[in-house]
Amino acid sequence: MNRSRLPAPALKFLIAADLALLMASAFAQTPEEELARKVDQLADELAKVKGQLKEMQEQRAATPTPIAPAPASAGAALASGPETAAATGPAEPATVLFSYGELNYNRPTRATENTQADLRRFVLGFQHRFDDKNKVVTELEVEHAVSSADDPGEVELEQAYAEHVLNPTWSARGGLFLIPAGLLNEKHEPTAYYGVERNFVETAIIPTTWREGGLQIVGSFDNGLTLQTGISTGFDLNKWDAASTEGAESPLGSVHQELALAKGHDLSVFGALNWRGIPGLQLGGSLFTGGATQGQLGVPDARVTLWDLHARWTPGRWDLAALYARGTISNTAELNTPLVGNTTLIPKSFDGWYMQAAYKLWTYEEYVLTPFVRWEQFNTARSFADLGQGLTPDPAKTERVVTLGANFQVSPGIVLKADVQRFRENEDANRVDLGLGWSF
Amino acid sequence: MRLILAATACVLAPASAFAVDYLTADQAAKLMFPEAERFEAREIRLESPQMQQLDAQGVRARSARWSVRVAQRGGVALGFVVVDEVIGKFELITYAVGIGLDGAVKQVEVLSYRESHGQEIRMPAWRKQFVGKTNTSPMRVGDDIANISGATLSCNHVSEGVKRVVAVVEIARKSGALP
Repeated sequence: MNRSRLPAPALKFLIAADLALLMASAFAQTPEEELARKVDQLADELAKVKGQLKEMQEQRAATPTPIAPAPASAGAALASGPETAAATGPAEPATVLFSYGELNYNRPTRATENTQADLRRFVLGFQHRFDDKNKVVTELEVEHAVSSADDPGEVELEQAYAEHVLNPTWSARGGLFLIPAGLLNEKHEPTAYYGVERNFVETAIIPTTWREGGLQIVGSFDNGLTLQTGISTGFDLNKWDAASTEGAESPLGSVHQELALAKGHDLSVFGALNWRGIPGLQLGGSLFTGGATQGQLGVPDARVTLWDLHARWTPGRWDLAALYARGTISNTAELNTPLVGNTTLIPKSFDGWYMQAAYKLWTYEEYVLTPFVRWEQFNTARSFADLGQGLTPDPAKTERVVTLGANFQVSPGIVLKADVQRFRENEDANRVDLGLGWSF
Repeated sequence: MRLILAATACVLAPASAFAVDYLTADQAAKLMFPEAERFEAREIRLESPQMQQLDAQGVRARSARWSVRVAQRGGVALGFVVVDEVIGKFELITYAVGIGLDGAVKQVEVLSYRESHGQEIRMPAWRKQFVGKTNTSPMRVGDDIANISGATLSCNHVSEGVKRVVAVVEIARKSGALP
C-alpha cells in the first residue's frame, strides 16, 4: 500500500507534538540565534508535513480506498500505485463477497397458460483467505425466491470447501465442491453461458449444478493441462421415485445427494483433464464412477458412471462449443424388477450432445450483443436392461432441441437474454424465454 | 461490483501478497531486457489533462502515479518495464509489461497468480499475443486477444491492464517524463 497511511488525526497530533517539542527546547536555550535556527527547522518540518498531507489527499482523491467497493468488471487494482504495490505487498482483501442471480420468464407458445416468471436463483458466496496457502469458498443459494413449507423454493449450499496450496502446481480441496464435469458445472453463472436456460445436456444428463462432498487435488501444469481428481460421495439409487417422472427428466438429478445427510457407504472417484495450451481452445473430458445403492439391506449393488468429452474454441468473435455426455447404471434389471408397473424405471444408459455457435455481432463500450444458436439431442433413457418380454420398457425417444437467441451484455456483470426453443418430440414445450442475470 | 471486506484485514494482516509467485519484478525486467546494464526507476505523475486524454482513449487511468523502470545501456534507453496489478476474478494478478522504444509491447510476464482457475494466462502462448501491440491496438479479448476458457475475467482484466500500461508510457514519453 502507499507509504503515507497515517490518518489525518494522527498526522495533526504529530505536528502538534513536533511544535511543542521544538518550542520547548527553543525557549529553554533562549539565545536568539538558537531560536532562529529552531524556527527555520520548524518551518522546514511544517513544509514537509504539508507536502505529505497534500500527497496523501491527492492519492485518496485519485484512488478508491480498499474498504470501498472495487469495480470488478473493470478489473481495477487496489488503491496503491502499481510499483509501490508490487514492491511492498498489496493489502489484498482477505474476504471477498460474490453473488450471481437470474430471473427468467418462460412462455410456452402452445400452452401460454403455463407461462411463468421466476427468480430462478439468487446466490451469495464468499471466499476468505487465511493466508497465502489457505482459503475457504462458500456459496449459498435460494431457488425460486421463497422457501417455506408452502412455497416451491429451496435453500441450499452449493459449495463449502477449504483449499490448500501444496506448491505452485498442486492444490488440494476438501468439503462440498462442484464436480469437474462438462463445460457448465463449474462455471454456471448466467453471464458465463448462452441462453436463458442452461442447456439440456448439462442439466438432464450431467446434473448441473452437481456437487459432492470429498477430497480433490488440482494440478495446473505449464503446458496448459489441468488435472482434477479425487474421491467423493456419490448418488443414492434408493431415492429413485418410480412413480414420478423426475427420473425421466434427469436420471442423476433425481438421485443426487448434495451432501444433505448423504449416505456414504459407497464413495465415488472422479477425474477431469482439460487442456488450454492454445489460446482460445479448450479440450477436455471427465469421468465419475461409484457405487450408488449405498449398502442398503436387500438392495443389490449398482454403479453409476458418467463421462463426457467437450471442446470450446473462441477464434476472434466466435465462440464455438461441443459436448457429449453419457451415463450408465449397472445392475438395473435387478433394481427395476420390484418397480415394474411404475411410470419411470431406472435406465441402463442415458446420453446427449450439443453443438453451439455464438458470434459477437455488435459492441459499443461495454455493450455486447452476441446471437447464438444451439442444437442439442439428449435421451434420458437411451436403454433399459432386459426384464423379459412385455416387461422391459421401451427406450425413451431422443429429444432434439434448437435454441436460437442472443445474450446482450449490459456490463460485464449484467446480461439480458432472449431466445426461442423448438422441441422436435415434445412440441408442447416450444417456448420463448427472456432472462436477466448478473454475476460479480 | 465486488464488496471488499478489508477493513480489519488491512490493519491486521501482514503486508504479504497471497500469491504463488513465479518471478520478481527485477527478474522480469532482466528477462525482458537482458542487454540492459541498469534499470533506472522513474516516478511518473499524470496530470489531469493526461488522465482525461487516457479516458478519451477508452483507457481507465486508475492511478495518477506510476513507477517505470527505464532499461539502459551505455546511458542510452532501451525500453521500459512497468509492473502492475489487476484483479482477476477475486484476487490480484501481478504482471510486468516490457515496452520497446517503438512503443510496442516487447514482452508480458505474469509475476504472481492467485486465482484457483485460469493459471493458463501464464502460458507463453497466451502472453505472446501482446507482443508488438501498440497504443492503437484494441488489446481486447474476443478481438485481437484470444480468451482462455474458464478464465475470462482474468484475460479481460490483464488485457485492459496491458493496454493501460502501454497508453501511460506513451503519454509519459510525449510529455517528456520518459525518454
